Amino acid sequence: MKASQVNTGVSLKMSQSSQKFSSTGTQATRVIGVLAIVVMAWVVISGLVFTPADVVQGESVRIMYVHVPSAWIAYLAFIVTAIASSFYIFAKRHSLGFDRVAGASAEVGVMFMAITLITGSLWGRLTWGEFWQWDPRLTTTAFLFVTYIGYLAVRRLDGSIEQRARRSGVIALLAVLEIPLVHFSVVFWRSLHQRATILDPNGDVKMDGLMLFTLFSGVVAFTLVFAWLVLHRQRTMLLSDLSNERGLDNAILARQSENASN
Amino acid sequence: MDLTPRPETISPKRRRWMPIIVLSLVGIGGVIVVTQFLSSAIDYYCNVDEVGVRSGCDTANRLRVQGTVEQGSLAKSDNTTEFKLVFNGKSLDVVYSGDPGGVFQECISVVAHGRLVNGVLESNRIEVKHSNEYEAKNKDRLENSGSAACSQVQG
Amino acid sequence: MQNAGFIFASYVLTIGAILLFAVVTLRRAKESAKLVEDKNKPWI
Repeated sequence: MKASQVNTGVSLKMSQSSQKFSSTGTQATRVIGVLAIVVMAWVVISGLVFTPADVVQGESVRIMYVHVPSAWIAYLAFIVTAIASSFYIFAKRHSLGFDRVAGASAEVGVMFMAITLITGSLWGRLTWGEFWQWDPRLTTTAFLFVTYIGYLAVRRLDGSIEQRARRSGVIALLAVLEIPLVHFSVVFWRSLHQRATILDPNGDVKMDGLMLFTLFSGVVAFTLVFAWLVLHRQRTMLLSDLSNERGLDNAILARQSENASN
Repeated sequence: MDLTPRPETISPKRRRWMPIIVLSLVGIGGVIVVTQFLSSAIDYYCNVDEVGVRSGCDTANRLRVQGTVEQGSLAKSDNTTEFKLVFNGKSLDVVYSGDPGGVFQECISVVAHGRLVNGVLESNRIEVKHSNEYEAKNKDRLENSGSAACSQVQG
Repeated sequence: MQNAGFIFASYVLTIGAILLFAVVTLRRAKESAKLVEDKNKPWI
């Protein structure tokens, strides 16, 4: 059998010196990256210096400018994972590009969720007096975090890329249902955690102007960071999927030449 | 070596939708069970007016009681902090061994952990439950006579 | 600043985690980019 018969859409030829090997950066990612750094710098300076201390909580309120955006972007990341997974599962042409976006977004989401839990426990120690309490909001958040670690573990199971996409896609569609449970846990049950300030059901935002502006800047900065990380991460995933596939093809070719020589 | 592609398994449309429908039903069922039937088990605390009234708030057990520290009731001595916890028109005397520290002050919502002894909550742990309101300190305004939290509406 | 340690720790951890993720991703990208020709990179 000729090598061309095992066509996987990837060139099996070894690289030639004339070919270029660009990494995952593009003009768009560079612009997003620079914007992310600029807005993030503003958030750090404003959060630590310009914003006032809170009348009740004092200086510890400054943790809010990283805690709240990271929680929101973690939610956003998991929602993106679910949407991309549903595109993979329900679209006629099961495009693996959606699976890679889902996986990349979940990885970034888990990182933001970890940041949320750590900064939250630091803030909790300062205001409540406790690093951790098994209260409804904290418990459901921990549960969400563990669920997505499980999701990432499933993506690393043995099997083809299509199997990975199918298995993890179903989990992503299930796991996203936990987000409303986490968000409304402070409404459903009595919790030590405060209720929503910005997403107040009555639309009555009780927050000082510069505090609010800095918080929104934080959301913008973290969204840019999220976009940058996901773009790079899903491209990296494509590269490793392709080189794994090529490794498999090479192994098949090697086996074939073995057979031929026998 | 056989490298011929495996025959594609035919998946009817119904089969693709079934797991999603089942999973959604399980999810909705789970949410109903958790919000409607488990709430007293998951609720973090009892309110002052529910002590000895609501199930799960029995006075024989260790309690977590939520209420607002009444203005003017806070008295600190060497080893203890005494104050009145109010909520919904009912009040409860609390004796805490030590100084709660942190942002603990009058008019703030707290959760006091402890046991009821002769109608007084002997507490060894107090958590401050800050509200969802944020207001700048040192704004141009008249000095509050009491605690900063008294100027905020308690949520 | 009161509680400065806790506040700085939360900022340092946040930015540190993001930077670590970015550096690891870029390093991996660089390594695997050498194994794949540019014509197979849809973003080029």
